[in-house]
Amino acid sequence: MIYTKKSPALLIIGILMLVWGFLNSSGNVDGMQSWLQQSAYSDHMKVKEKFDAEFRVAKEMAASEGKPAPVMKMAASRFDHAKAEQAKLTYIVGGIFAVLGLLILVWTPKLGDFDYYLSIVPGMAFIVGIAFVVRWGLDPIFGNWGKAAIPLLGWDFAHIFNLNYVVLGIVIGIITVNVFSIPGWAANGVRTARFFLKTGVILLGVLYSAAELAQLGALSVVMIGIFVLGSVGMVLYMGRRMDAGNSMTGILSAGVGVCGVSAAVAAAPVVQAKAVEIAYTIGTILVWGVGCMFVFPTIGHLLGMGPVQFGAWAGTGILNSAQVAGAALAFDPTGIETLKVAEIFNITRVLFLPIIVVWLAAWYVKHEVGAEKVDLKQVLIAKFPVFVLGFIGMFALSSMGAFSPADHYQGKYFSATEIKEDKLLKPKETVLLEAELAKMKTPAETAALKDLIANRKVTSRVHDGALLSAGKVAGLDPLAKAVIDKAHNAAWHNSKTIGAFRNWIAWLFAIGLTGLGMQITAKALKQAGGKPLIIGGIVGTVKALGSLIVVLLFVREFV
Amino acid sequence: MEEKQFERGTSLSIFAADRREDLGALIAAILIAIGVMFFVGK
Repeated sequence: MIYTKKSPALLIIGILMLVWGFLNSSGNVDGMQSWLQQSAYSDHMKVKEKFDAEFRVAKEMAASEGKPAPVMKMAASRFDHAKAEQAKLTYIVGGIFAVLGLLILVWTPKLGDFDYYLSIVPGMAFIVGIAFVVRWGLDPIFGNWGKAAIPLLGWDFAHIFNLNYVVLGIVIGIITVNVFSIPGWAANGVRTARFFLKTGVILLGVLYSAAELAQLGALSVVMIGIFVLGSVGMVLYMGRRMDAGNSMTGILSAGVGVCGVSAAVAAAPVVQAKAVEIAYTIGTILVWGVGCMFVFPTIGHLLGMGPVQFGAWAGTGILNSAQVAGAALAFDPTGIETLKVAEIFNITRVLFLPIIVVWLAAWYVKHEVGAEKVDLKQVLIAKFPVFVLGFIGMFALSSMGAFSPADHYQGKYFSATEIKEDKLLKPKETVLLEAELAKMKTPAETAALKDLIANRKVTSRVHDGALLSAGKVAGLDPLAKAVIDKAHNAAWHNSKTIGAFRNWIAWLFAIGLTGLGMQITAKALKQAGGKPLIIGGIVGTVKALGSLIVVLLFVREFV
Repeated sequence: MEEKQFERGTSLSIFAADRREDLGALIAAILIAIGVMFFVGK
């Protein structure tokens, strides 16, 4: 069979990408980009204003000394970097596609491997092109709309409904296949979607670190451990009882048990979930999560819960990370305590993902081949998904500090030694802090503040924690609070390596999920039925009620 | 997409077996990781 179809589609996609690269590098789409990337553009304008002022002064000084105007170049802003990245990516990828597109038009295909692999490229270009539109276009558009609607709705609908590139990629894929259908020239290459997803899942391991677990409170680890493992186990049990299918049950358990959408995406290839099962799981998690976001704060206020209790409950009981933050802010819009506690619990459950991935891989292999009757060890050796070992390997390397300091979490880490000179506190700022020493409530806060004054920077993570509560002491001078915040921000660093990995992971997921969305037809959705919604609803309710009881019984003023 | 549409691979993958797809993904991930470590500083 000859696979390569003579079509100009690949060449056209390649040329379109090259044109987009040129428009970005020449500045012809700056107007559109400034709207799409509002935050980066706002930073850009600040950098520009500062540069203009410096340039004006330098020019005036040169003029007064009778010298020619100096040559100065503005430092690249985040906005410039974003445009440069779009140009670079589209030049590279578009160039490759254009060359291969020309080859497809001029070459007479012959039976063999080259024909097969060349025929895959147009389909890959199709999903990569759509992923570009989703990440660079739709994702920021919905982000802007979400923020614009806050005055009207009181909340960011794009954030709460997870309308980011993950969900939008699937939705666009579904629309493409159901409204337009996949063109013949792309059909072969769209099948690379799962490969992209698996590569992304392996790299996902670099974002986590076992050392970060040691930084979390014992209560959050124990509580989350019980509820994550409990809800995963409960979904697996119910799924089997209700005959929901192994892959559907497996992916739903990760989504309901761990951290929602991202866990479902990570677990999908582990249990060989079909695209329609991923869609159902994400739908269930989002519907349930958004419902919880509105119900939890009301119940929290009715029961008179404190910020620590509510944060612990929301971080344990709500299925998806986005809605955890939403519920915490809805409960306590001004204070940060609830959000902080909720995020500690949320991070703890996200860190359970590696354990769940391995559990599900073994569970799926066992149940899929009926391994109860055969040697489980042999079955695991023969069937265990190798890419999960890659994920675990990356997680292990990350935990050993191969990519970033070992105690990082998703690339963010504390270091007192990497604080630059210009980020150290100024003498007038330390004087300001000295005046606030008497207002500290605990010895830990006083010690941390004294240390900050002496060293002009935060020197340990313990002091950083104490300073966070010091910053919220009643009656504290707002300027002093701003100084403490500045010191806190200076001590936390973003790893460039992990940032680059995150970018790769985002692209691999965007491309993979767009392609998977193209496998979801209306017929397949009907066939999948409503079982995931029922199982997800029951387990979600049990988890929410169970965690509420545990929180009310055991959580007081400590975490 | 129907299974019979493709003589090679399956309706969901260009690879004939899951293990092969896993290994392909593993190689791709390692190459990306080496590239990131090589080109991007900490």
